[in-house]
Amino acid sequence: MDRETLNAFVDGELPPQEMARIAALLETQPEMKTYVQKQERMRAALRFEDVMDAPPPQKLVETVRHAPASWRWRLQAVLGRGFVWRSLVPAGAALLVGLMIGLIGKPAEDLVLSRGQMLARGGLAQALDTRLASAGYPGQGPRIGISFRDSVGSDCRTFSSDNHAGLACHRAGNWVVTTLVTQSPEAGGAYRMAGSQMPDAVRRAVEASIAGVPFDAKAEAAARANGWAGR
Amino acid sequence: MDASLDTIRHQMVQLLPRLRRFAIALTGSAADGDDLVQDTVERALKNLHAWEPGSRLDSWMFRIAKNRFIDTRRSAKRGKTEAIETADEYAALDGERAMQSHLTFQDTAKALQALPVEQRQAVALVLVDGLSYREAADILEIPIGTLTSRIARAREALMTALGD
Repeated sequence: MDRETLNAFVDGELPPQEMARIAALLETQPEMKTYVQKQERMRAALRFEDVMDAPPPQKLVETVRHAPASWRWRLQAVLGRGFVWRSLVPAGAALLVGLMIGLIGKPAEDLVLSRGQMLARGGLAQALDTRLASAGYPGQGPRIGISFRDSVGSDCRTFSSDNHAGLACHRAGNWVVTTLVTQSPEAGGAYRMAGSQMPDAVRRAVEASIAGVPFDAKAEAAARANGWAGR
Repeated sequence: MDASLDTIRHQMVQLLPRLRRFAIALTGSAADGDDLVQDTVERALKNLHAWEPGSRLDSWMFRIAKNRFIDTRRSAKRGKTEAIETADEYAALDGERAMQSHLTFQDTAKALQALPVEQRQAVALVLVDGLSYREAADILEIPIGTLTSRIARAREALMTALGD
């Protein structure tokens, strides 16, 4: 019998009948039996039983219990795994990110989930409806960045607040938030959106969806007058 | 707050001994092994969306550990990661059982470190952790025949190193 078969026997990789046949055969073949026993001793030596029996270091346990978990995974847990990520967050958008809807901290009342879409509500929706970036920032509430028409004809606007920034597009009477990034806890207060700065993820989302150029002041006002109905 | 995330974290805690053993078999030391496990756990949680619920968490985490080990070796100075550490480092892990047997943790770790890294990975999964050939080949992303021939070659070397 070749070594390959005997090794497979030691590793438990043979079909049950073959395992039984060889086990019986070993009783009549001392050399084979010696080889198998040596292999079994070697496997036993490699088992590192002290490591298996020792409680893992507390530091590792703490990491498992508390290290940040993927925000995309947590969002998927809410939205269902069929959710199409490419439309929500551009690949590689890494500024992140803990997301909303009660997944971290207190729920963001300005955002709701509806049929797999994230919609702006409350103060955010009001700002998107009414504020003109060209009129300057009134000093509180969400800040509106740029406005533009996307490739499917919707009017879209970027926004930011102390906690998050994103892109929302007006569809069927709602502001659908297609990209959202939140300030990561690690960044602490160091990362704070300045008026003209836009997180990479939002900027890429704009670049990926914009048709033409951003609205100028006149076009922005016209779009508002038109109820952000798009084309 | 999130029951299923708690469940996964709990499963990961259960996996820690196996991950540690795998990492020690790869790196050759308890300290480097635990660093690798730390890194693996952080990455696994951060990339949890890439894990398919219902698929095996252990296989997925072993694959992350394997990849991190390879990446770290690439970026680290060779001599540093290859170094066999002093007996002191092993002392804590050389429990009574190992002292009674003729092979110590250090003997075993040293024998594994002497193997080429491809063979060491295969051994760490099949002979150390006890995974099936199929599972190990999937984790290492190699054909099953490649896996078995690596293990066969490693066996020869280990038999010599570990005596009998």
